Amino acid sequence: MMFSMFVLWIIVFIGIFLRQRWVTPLVLVTLVWTLVLLKLHMTDPIPLNF
Amino acid sequence: MSDTQTLRLARLINMAALFALIGVLAGSLHLQFGVGEQPCPLCLVQRSAMIGLAVGPMMNLLWGMKPAHYALSILAALVGSAGSIRQILLHINDPMGTGYGPAVMGYHLYTWALITFIVAIAGIAVVLLWNRPFTINDPGVLASVSRGIRVSGLVALLWAILWATVELVVITVAVLPECGLGMCPDDPEPIGGLGDSVGWVFIAVTGLIALIAAVMVDRRLARRAAAPC
Repeated sequence: MMFSMFVLWIIVFIGIFLRQRWVTPLVLVTLVWTLVLLKLHMTDPIPLNF
Repeated sequence: MSDTQTLRLARLINMAALFALIGVLAGSLHLQFGVGEQPCPLCLVQRSAMIGLAVGPMMNLLWGMKPAHYALSILAALVGSAGSIRQILLHINDPMGTGYGPAVMGYHLYTWALITFIVAIAGIAVVLLWNRPFTINDPGVLASVSRGIRVSGLVALLWAILWATVELVVITVAVLPECGLGMCPDDPEPIGGLGDSVGWVFIAVTGLIALIAAVMVDRRLARRAAAPC
């Protein structure tokens, strides 16, 4: 799962080098995916859990 | 200040930001390979956001100065802050605990990460106040080079971009043995590190590989520019 996050960044970097239009949407998707993975790893309940 | 000087200064700021992020990622790689501390899932989230931070400067350098590129870095900093704050809260919630991982100059790495993200947001806000680079029609380094326009400091610029790329590849490959294709363990076991000095040599080698690649690309571009049409 975490591996996919970094693979997405590699695709983003390739897109930047090739000046592709889809880079900006893919960056946003990758950031959302990073947040999803953060939420999935919030396994410890703490008072300020968000 | 002329357009050329403005553009040069804007590129210098973005290049400096990129090298600063490379330094942060290099530190985390040293901790992983030199000291043997495997990154926790929240650490990987923060690494991912650090890479996201680098996207803005890279796009500014290669595609031209645009506020939208800075916006992507701000969003990445916000995502990274969420990861850092979560880890700080876990630490606060454990009064008997001494925190996670080693402390550097009194602060744990997740605290430093949060400081980095906040400084990045503040820094980008300050840079966005300077409107001039956006009014110059900057085609970016990629378009400039393809038109045969010589870009000053191209080797350093390519070095920063390629070093960030090499570090991303190393980070990606290093995730596989720890997490595989599934979820990462919450508390990964430390691995046998290469040692402090060998760890830094490893980081230096990644920089050297990027530098050699940058010089090769620069020479190739110079040859192409010199070739008769």
